[in-house]
Amino acid sequence: MNRTITMNLSGIIFHIEEDAYDKLNKYLAAIRGYFSNSESKDEIMTDIESRIAEMLQSKVSQTKQAVLMADVESVIAVMGKPEDFAEENSQGNNNESPRAETQYQYSGKRRRVFRDPDEKILGGVCSGIANYFDFDPIYLRGAFAVSFFVFGTGFLLYIILWMIIPEAKTTAEKLEMRGEKVDINNIGKAVSEEFDDLKKRVNNWEQKVNTNENKERVKSSAQRVGGFITDVFENLFKVFGKIFSILLIMVGVALLVGLLATLFGSGTISAFSAPGDTIRFSLYEFTDVILPESLSPQLIVIGLILFLGIPLSSMIYSGIKYLFGFKGQNKIVKYTANVLWLLGLGIMIYIGIEIGNDFAEHATTKQNITITQPQGQIMYLDLKPNTEEDFEDKHNYRRKIHLGDWYILSKDDQRFRLAYPSFTVVASDNNNFELVAVKSAEGFDKKEAAYRAKNIEYSVTQIDSTILFNSYYDIQAADKLRGQELKLILKVPLNKVIFLSKRMEKIIYDIDNVNDTYDGDMINRRWIMTTRGLECLDCQGLENVTKHDTIIIPAAPTVPALPK
Amino acid sequence: MNIENTKAQMKKGVLEFCILSILSKTEHYPSEIIEKMKEAKLIVVEGTLYPLLTRLKNDGLLSYRWEESTSGPPRKYYKLTPVGEQFLKELNITWNELVEAVNKTTQN
Repeated sequence: MNRTITMNLSGIIFHIEEDAYDKLNKYLAAIRGYFSNSESKDEIMTDIESRIAEMLQSKVSQTKQAVLMADVESVIAVMGKPEDFAEENSQGNNNESPRAETQYQYSGKRRRVFRDPDEKILGGVCSGIANYFDFDPIYLRGAFAVSFFVFGTGFLLYIILWMIIPEAKTTAEKLEMRGEKVDINNIGKAVSEEFDDLKKRVNNWEQKVNTNENKERVKSSAQRVGGFITDVFENLFKVFGKIFSILLIMVGVALLVGLLATLFGSGTISAFSAPGDTIRFSLYEFTDVILPESLSPQLIVIGLILFLGIPLSSMIYSGIKYLFGFKGQNKIVKYTANVLWLLGLGIMIYIGIEIGNDFAEHATTKQNITITQPQGQIMYLDLKPNTEEDFEDKHNYRRKIHLGDWYILSKDDQRFRLAYPSFTVVASDNNNFELVAVKSAEGFDKKEAAYRAKNIEYSVTQIDSTILFNSYYDIQAADKLRGQELKLILKVPLNKVIFLSKRMEKIIYDIDNVNDTYDGDMINRRWIMTTRGLECLDCQGLENVTKHDTIIIPAAPTVPALPK
Repeated sequence: MNIENTKAQMKKGVLEFCILSILSKTEHYPSEIIEKMKEAKLIVVEGTLYPLLTRLKNDGLLSYRWEESTSGPPRKYYKLTPVGEQFLKELNITWNELVEAVNKTTQN
């Protein structure tokens, strides 16, 4: 007993056994492939198909309804194999336009990429590609050898190529390997041929629609329209698919190099950020700051290679596969890749959970920073000027992560330096200026979080009536980066004045004031603490600021000379 | 030198001539043409004929019309066009000259 398939051949329905169908299908595909470059390919195919339909029709009857393997074989014997009428055709073409003949030659000898087993050093990848593009493999080998040392990119690429480029095993394949030269012209020719083909189909189809001949074959014209549409889409997909696959390869390689450079390099990556805002990023530095002691940085490297590298590699893999039209899939490779990717995913999830655990609890501690009271009524507030430069050049930038306004700087191996603390002003409940540092951090439990918070180091410098704030605070390297934050609160007594310098703009954060002035507008001005809150003393020039001049302050202050 | 190859080459040279001759008397559809040519052992497989017919048609030597068939898909009935008739006439002359020349050469 055999299963049958329903088949429509030239508008006639046949019940055909599965294996017989496969055989017939392959046969027709072979003929189509043989005529693929002939202008009247479709017409010849239609003729041949209707003749086959006619022959098969005579082989079925009421009692024998299905088309069997033997029937297909006898039809093929009568019709002949493509090889059998191959000579015939080329003979015929001698009389025809020379173009058609060159086309046949072209299709027959078109070059394909194979690995060259006769001239191989490793897998024959280089010599195969060199054969394809007609140059000495030694250059490619050299390039690969060099790229092996560029974060191992070349090695990965070589392995990918090794896997997807088939080896030239048979003589025919070896000949194909050295077939007609492939250069830019040929590639262009191939693409333009595909477009031409498309155009021709459109024209043919229009002609067919316009002739009455078509009306006699309503049934098959419907098929033709269907066939035409699928053909158009197939061709469009082919052309765009090739372009897309080139893009796929380029993007894949770029991302892969980026990934490997991130993992093994220590360079600067400028991406996803405004010009000038570089993300100086070395993964080891980063993992140093983030990963718990219990996890080794190698784990995250392995995790990332598997989790990101495998999809990128398969992107390149499928791009190359489509571009060169390799068929078939290596199931073992696919299966292994999937398993490894899942392993990578597992590692990343594990790392995520481990890090997440360290953020379970939040703790805050307060510390008073001793300051001396100013001589007069005014306390001048400024940011220590050279601390910013500390972030720019004074330190080896390899040990620095700089994300926009957010800095992490490894001062030495014991401490990290973070910017910026935030600064705000409240009313004091006594007659003294007081400075409070509110330190907070996260941890596995309250105790750990509190311990981390206490480890935050911060200091200010005071010169007479001027407080110089550091723009950074330090944390212990062993504590890791666990949401450590520093908030500075300056308590200002009633009727005392503060002056915010221009540099303070970096750290002031949401200072409540009677005038409802934005933080950015509060700098370079004097502010007095009243019973209602902080009021501006010299905000005349500002819009939407209400003026309160109830208290008269002697002479406007000048910014004091700052120590270098 | 492959003798089969040479034989095949000789046969193929006259294929077009024969097809045109068959169609000169009356119109035929491909299977009938094939029958006649098989009888004459001119071709072995049918696949050979379809590209040839298509090409002769595209060159304007043949034209065809559709006819419904009781035993399968509609059939293409081919016949000679005036150009084809002229073409065949010239081929006939050439053929006769050729036969004469060949006979002369081989009998001597």
